Amino acid sequence: MIIIDKLAYSSRLRYKNPTLKAIFAVGTLLICVGARSSIVSVVTLAAMAGLTVLSSKISILRYLRLMLIPLGFMVLGTIAIVVNVAEAPMDLLSVPMGGKYLAVSHTSLNEGMRLVAVALASVSCLYFLTLTTSMLDILSVLQKLRCPKIMIELMMLIYRYIFVILDMANAITISQNCRLGNQDFMTELRSAGQMLAVLLVRSMKKSSALFDSMESRCYDGEIKVLNESYPVEIRDTIGVASFLLMMLAIAMFL
Amino acid sequence: MQKNDRKDHNEIILELENVCYTYEDGTEALKGVNLKVVRGEKLAIMGANGSGKSTLFLTLNGIHKPNKGMVLYNHIPVDYSRKGLLALRKKIGIVFQDPDNQLFSASVTQEISFGVLNLGLSFEEARERVEKIIEELNITSFRDKPTHFLSGGQKKRVSIADILVMNPEMILFDEPAAALDPKHARMIDEIIDQLSEKGITVILSTHDVNRAFLWADRIVLMDEGSIVSEGTPDEIFTDEAALAQTNLEKPTVLKIFESLCKSGVLDRTLPVPHTANELEQYIREGTV
Repeated sequence: MIIIDKLAYSSRLRYKNPTLKAIFAVGTLLICVGARSSIVSVVTLAAMAGLTVLSSKISILRYLRLMLIPLGFMVLGTIAIVVNVAEAPMDLLSVPMGGKYLAVSHTSLNEGMRLVAVALASVSCLYFLTLTTSMLDILSVLQKLRCPKIMIELMMLIYRYIFVILDMANAITISQNCRLGNQDFMTELRSAGQMLAVLLVRSMKKSSALFDSMESRCYDGEIKVLNESYPVEIRDTIGVASFLLMMLAIAMFL
Repeated sequence: MQKNDRKDHNEIILELENVCYTYEDGTEALKGVNLKVVRGEKLAIMGANGSGKSTLFLTLNGIHKPNKGMVLYNHIPVDYSRKGLLALRKKIGIVFQDPDNQLFSASVTQEISFGVLNLGLSFEEARERVEKIIEELNITSFRDKPTHFLSGGQKKRVSIADILVMNPEMILFDEPAAALDPKHARMIDEIIDQLSEKGITVILSTHDVNRAFLWADRIVLMDEGSIVSEGTPDEIFTDEAALAQTNLEKPTVLKIFESLCKSGVLDRTLPVPHTANELEQYIREGTV
């Protein structure tokens, strides 16, 4: 998660208008899911992966590793679709099991492969967005979409404090390890428990200190802030529009 | 070098009358504090950890309401209604010791714009002020970084910008140099000096005797929730009893000056030097 955050800030596409990036990613995602076609999926995957790897300081290997995370879930999910419990044996593979068959047909295998392709392509769309757009910019897009203020404010605070609390947790763990708090499994377990307990108390204190400091700046129940704005460039808009049209064409005519 | 001249006729901006504050758990943090702050002055508050400095700060801008006693701003008792408090906090800003307790947003721009938008300014005006302060405090080079990737010194500068952008009449700094490297500490000192030049009243809590000795117009010593002593730096740092009670050391320059006076190298009637350079000058002139 931290790595994704770092990559998003160092991406070459970071200062592009976030709304445009969101339209690009989510638009492609919708076409891809709507079309459910292998060709559209492969084109999407290639385009998104290529764009992400080229624009971010991410190596292809690391990108593939990121892709592996959802792939595990997809494979598990697809097995249920590919493998059928049938009365009669099927054309590709059949394992008899107490009167019935655990069977795979050509159609179900094709269906499964297509599903994995669509899912991977969809993930690549979302990775494009998260690896080129900072959390804050995504929040500004959500704001434009009239997402409830309270949710935006919560996400903003949670995002900021993930890092503060993570720092605290790291510091506590290091100080525990310096005093042999990880010498065997039991001590490690106890250390982790104590760390979480301290973390809770400190987080409560931090939140109350934060509230005081916000009150000191005339906080009145609503967090009003200025967002950085990145202008929409015509060239990019044309690029996004023609890409989406092309995808739409592929989805409809191929 | 007479620091107090320009303040003599000036008015009291803030006054505490017998202020007591007890936390919910029963800790008596302030026990009858009387304090007058003059407009435009540089006031240092010193005392051990837990002597009540931070509580005092939160009492000054109405986060804590005294259990007893009164806080007066511009001679008017503080109005603890929502509206009254907002009005008070527009005038008094606090830069907190730990920036992580103050920076609530991951974006520098969002962070700095928070206070100024709470003043009711339009987005255009707010943006103008935010841009100006970003330039003034040299934040430009890291304004695009998320706050969790900033160094301690950078976070501190953002937390100061947070307050400056609101144009307060008075700024309270809670140990501004804590955990900063010398370069950043000096940078923060310079920012504080500029504020004083603009006529902003600055109250600073610090453990750095040398800094307080050099910088302050007036020093207040606190111990266990009470004010032990107050006066000019020269008065405070020659008050042996008060220094002993608050466990403070004398500033190095003063220590050497006094010892040189005692051994007859320097003349006791010389004005007290506040910097190493002044002292060096005396020694050079005295020994030639």
